[in-house]
Amino acid sequence: MKRVFRIVTAFILFYPVCSVAADSPVGSIKTLKGKCEIIRSGKEVDVKTGSRVFRDDHLKTWADGAVSMVFKDDTLLSIGPNSEVVINDFHFSPAEGKLSIVTRLLKGTSAYLSGIIAKLSPDSVRFETPVAKVGIRGTKFAVSLDGD
Amino acid sequence: MTVRLIQARKGEKRLILKTVKNLVVAIIALLLLESCAKKNVFVLLPGPDGKTGRILVSSGGGEQMLTEPKQATTVKRPDALPAKPFPMSDKEIEATCGEALTALPQPPVHFLLYFKSGSTELAEESRKMLDKVLYAVKSCQSTDISVVGHTDRVGSREANFKLGMERTELVRQMLVSQGVDGDYIDTSSHGEDNPVIKTDDEVPEPRNRRVEVVVR
Repeated sequence: MKRVFRIVTAFILFYPVCSVAADSPVGSIKTLKGKCEIIRSGKEVDVKTGSRVFRDDHLKTWADGAVSMVFKDDTLLSIGPNSEVVINDFHFSPAEGKLSIVTRLLKGTSAYLSGIIAKLSPDSVRFETPVAKVGIRGTKFAVSLDGD
Repeated sequence: MTVRLIQARKGEKRLILKTVKNLVVAIIALLLLESCAKKNVFVLLPGPDGKTGRILVSSGGGEQMLTEPKQATTVKRPDALPAKPFPMSDKEIEATCGEALTALPQPPVHFLLYFKSGSTELAEESRKMLDKVLYAVKSCQSTDISVVGHTDRVGSREANFKLGMERTELVRQMLVSQGVDGDYIDTSSHGEDNPVIKTDDEVPEPRNRRVEVVVR
């Protein structure tokens, strides 16, 4: 009985870790310039061309930085200097009808070119900022937030 | 004594006047700065095909639809109505978000490779396509390639899922043998579930017997 209890406890403790590890990338870093980093679960992760990007990752740049990524549905996203964007949600499984892409620019500047999700299900695409959200019916736009 | 008092009062008055003047100048400068300062700007741009889509900018105060190329709106606060759409010049766009726009990469490239019925043998016309895929991988310096296998509806659903995976694996091996890093390639099979042309079961359809390669 004790052993069963231990196994169950171990399962409960490690289950969230397992599910995070099984999470597949939402896209990858395409270009970068100057100082940039990915913040994953509160920790800084080194970023280079080809680095995988996961849900809940923050992309962050400093005064000389710029970084761009490509999502699995062909959406392109870039940020300029002193900027930060977070990938809040991404699901791209057209066969199961699971489509969603939600990104949030916290500060700085960003450019966006929508991909396949915007074509299949425009309502599943959201680009948020602290002052307003953008609903996307295709295809390319840019945002600059007040640097307070 | 009286004279000195008057002189002191005069000095005080001058000082007050000077302070007020400085204050007015400061307020005007601040107002000017405010109007020139970077605002929260949203600008719609033409896509790579030259066509312009639409974006809806909505805040707690209301919404504005942008429909024209280089049309923009600003939003002062989360509870403010987005400003009436206005045109932006290339120079203004460059000054506002030029560096982010410059950083935006080229869109991914898609390829379709077709197969002979029920087999992992490439159809005649698709053999040369592999060179184009390799060229794209090199020219985009791609580190993110998807290979997705599909089949028509001849055979069982399970068998077709497997066949889709075999077709995918073949394309993957061909890319790796030409020097593409296998770590950059992810593979999957949709079997017969994701056809280009919808057909009844057991109908052969060459356009559905394909492997899609996405070079990002």
